[in-house]
Amino acid sequence: MTSATDKTEPAEIGCLEAIEALYAYLDGEVNDPQALARIEHHLGHCRSCFSRTEMERALTAQLRKSAKSRAPAALQARLRSIMDKF
Amino acid sequence: MNRQDDLRAFFSHSVEENMDALYGVALRLTRNSADAEDLVAESVGKAWFALDTLVDRTRFRSWIFRILRNCFISARRKKSVRPSEFHYDELFRDDGDGDLASLLVEQPEEFLTWWANPERTVFNDILGEQIMSAIDDLPQSFRTTVLLINVEGLTYDEAADVLGVPAGTVRSRMKRGRTLLQKALWQHAMDAGLNVTDNPDECRT
Repeated sequence: MTSATDKTEPAEIGCLEAIEALYAYLDGEVNDPQALARIEHHLGHCRSCFSRTEMERALTAQLRKSAKSRAPAALQARLRSIMDKF
Repeated sequence: MNRQDDLRAFFSHSVEENMDALYGVALRLTRNSADAEDLVAESVGKAWFALDTLVDRTRFRSWIFRILRNCFISARRKKSVRPSEFHYDELFRDDGDGDLASLLVEQPEEFLTWWANPERTVFNDILGEQIMSAIDDLPQSFRTTVLLINVEGLTYDEAADVLGVPAGTVRSRMKRGRTLLQKALWQHAMDAGLNVTDNPDECRT
């Protein structure tokens, strides 16, 4: 029996569906609240997908840290010189 | 301030804001700093003369990334002895070994948990190099997509705009690129003889 105070559980999805949506989820690209709830419900109940999600988060953080580059001073000066001529 | 001064001020400010990001993407595209610097300089020059094509100033970032990408493709075509050897979109082919289902089987829980372990700081520098090596090995279209989104923070729509493809294509390139990246790191871990099962597998749910 369902009382008025019961919350409706999101529809179950499988691991493959969760992993299919994982990158869009982590990149903040899942805008449908129901789809979001389904993914989060699955991640809350599946240790394997939860671990995978954490791994992907860690990978993204490391990727961002490793791949960030700073424009060399020579390039900065070159660009400013180009723009000064406009 | 007249219109020309306004344009110049806007352009200079916007280029300054995006200088590092432009260089970062150019570096990963060209794989060497001299070519990357030339690519950014050429892109900035072209961008100025195409400024009237920028309808919405809030989209400057994706607009100038698109110019950079076009300059890169154009330069590659000019350099190539046989242009047909350059298959920018080659990587849509499905070689059948990177599908998501096999990924779930190939990468054990222990590896995922080990990788995500925040205590694993001792490996961070090594892994940073491995990640960049794995990124450099990615096919061009996946590499660019992953960099634009995961490193430079573009949305899927912005990346689609830069790459001139539908947002759905960006979404599938992200899945494929990240899957390939993860497989490469798994291989690195195995090649390095890392015994991931030595790390405790915490139960988190």
